[in-house]
Amino acid sequence: MKFAIAVFSPGHAPSSRRALLFAQAALAGGHEIVRLFFYQDGVHSASANIVTPQDENDVPAQWREFISAQRLDAVVCIAAALRRGVLNDEEANRYQRPAANLPAPWELSGLGQLHEAAQGADRLLCFGGD
Amino acid sequence: MSTLHVISHSPFGDNRLASCLRLLGPQDGLLLCGDAVYALNPGTANVASLSTLGPRLYALAEDLQARAIADSPATAVDYPGFVALSLDYDKVNSWL
Amino acid sequence: MAKSLLIISRQAPWSGPSAREALDIALAGGAFDLPLGMLFLDDGVFQLAANQQPALLQQKNLAANLQALPMFGVEELFAAASSLAERGLGADGLALPVEVLDDAGLAALIDRFDQVVTL
Repeated sequence: MKFAIAVFSPGHAPSSRRALLFAQAALAGGHEIVRLFFYQDGVHSASANIVTPQDENDVPAQWREFISAQRLDAVVCIAAALRRGVLNDEEANRYQRPAANLPAPWELSGLGQLHEAAQGADRLLCFGGD
Repeated sequence: MSTLHVISHSPFGDNRLASCLRLLGPQDGLLLCGDAVYALNPGTANVASLSTLGPRLYALAEDLQARAIADSPATAVDYPGFVALSLDYDKVNSWL
Repeated sequence: MAKSLLIISRQAPWSGPSAREALDIALAGGAFDLPLGMLFLDDGVFQLAANQQPALLQQKNLAANLQALPMFGVEELFAAASSLAERGLGADGLALPVEVLDDAGLAALIDRFDQVVTL
């Protein structure tokens, strides 16, 4: 079966970790992930600038590794990202901001990608809040 | 159509669980995860009303165990179980 | 056949960007002609209150954007009766024409959509 998974919370939220573990279980169960879409504070789960204390679980790093290893389509909503200071090189240049913190494997795109994923999936799962 | 509702906020000082229970349909399920499993702590007002959901009440096992909540009326599920549940119901509504 | 999506908006208009970001999901879906509905529940009903003056808080006028929903093809708009009543809002005089539903009506509403997002 096909899953679209949307993440609404930052890396330090238990729900971001929960989304990751769900995604891993979905693939391990032989299912497909059509897209991962990061919205609202979920854009922080994609930030390359998060410095997690050494003795804590680095969820943003785990997302990066998982997405790269599984070659998943991981989209960060551009509007949500801009207002929260999560920028790729192009946007950092466009808005003359001092740093870009959204490298590959993340893509910046619009909410249309969330809708497209939801339309193409058997289930839409959202993770966020706590 | 049946919906699996997912709640992750503690019910103490938050109204997501109360609102959810008001509009839960007779075929719907409820999965508690994160701090929402505190609703299953024995002796709370919630646990009595939640247990009337019978087999439609689930909780994420890791969250129950981490919080030492034993003897809950919910069916404990792991992540593969969570994935399976999401397919048993027609759709999933997470109360973000 | 396109899957239908119900967006449930539970936050007050200016408690962070949630109300706006729920609306943005609706507008984006409307722009793609997707079958959508929007339900205002819990504090979300405050988005519908009349005579709001967001400029005093240096906020954008969310109610004005909500009024754009029908223009984007999102005409199925609902509010929870219990949420309105608890918060002292009458079903008349709301900023947006919505169908007011009781608890059973809310359950039936959620039931008939293919997918749901609750913000």
